[in-house]
Amino acid sequence: MNAPWKPGQPLTLDTPRYRLRSMLPADVNDDYFAWLRDKEIMAGVNSAPKAMTMEDIRKYVGKFNNRSSFHLGIFRKPDDRLIGFYSVYVDRPHALASTNVVVGEKQCWGKGVVLETRAAIIDFLFDRLRVAKIWGSPMARNIPSVFNYKAQGFACEAVLKRHRVGPDGGRADQFMFALFPEQWRAVKARQAARDSKPA
Amino acid sequence: MSSAAERARALLAGALETEPAALGADASIATLEAWDSLAHLRLIEALERALGKPLPPEAIVEIGSLADVTKILESA
Repeated sequence: MNAPWKPGQPLTLDTPRYRLRSMLPADVNDDYFAWLRDKEIMAGVNSAPKAMTMEDIRKYVGKFNNRSSFHLGIFRKPDDRLIGFYSVYVDRPHALASTNVVVGEKQCWGKGVVLETRAAIIDFLFDRLRVAKIWGSPMARNIPSVFNYKAQGFACEAVLKRHRVGPDGGRADQFMFALFPEQWRAVKARQAARDSKPA
Repeated sequence: MSSAAERARALLAGALETEPAALGADASIATLEAWDSLAHLRLIEALERALGKPLPPEAIVEIGSLADVTKILESA
């Protein structure tokens, strides 16, 4: 059961293995600082390592309003260690939302962190905020990210050719993925059916 | 010479670190819990090695089942 939330107040979402909660500037720690300077981690979001100071990062984190923008830390249970974060943006006039995720703790890669935690965010966006569509735009060669979108029922609406500068300096393709509530309900029904089958 | 279907089954089984016989004809991201993000990465890499060239984005985004892998090998 997630804690009650009102617009503008910090958000907390619980999953079996993680707690997502609105980050405060004070939550930015040395790990977070190091992730932004890690070439391999930042390549996942097609971004060059950032030379931000701790003060810059804390100011950035403080700008999310918990109304139309959320910066959610992924805190592992039970040790409450910060292992990554989401930036979630909501376009209220058009009832659209997008999510970007960084899993900074490399030992957690391939452990289903994004599938588990983004499911809670998707539920919140569709059920609580009543958004009509959620979108994401991974780089075409970010295969784990592409997998996560597909596994959660997102459909590819467009392939944007040579749309961005890639990590190697060349032009890189990008996908536009989108998820509608009825697709999400179908994914959840399939998962429930699979989980109810005897092993 | 093995068929595209047999090669696809072998490639997917390798990516999932299982036996080809363990995969049903309906094997897909939706039906197999073992098909996770790292297995998907291994599958794409194995497919590209088998084809000897990178997959175009239109192919990458289509891959979600054993049938999709077979289709790509058939069209190569």
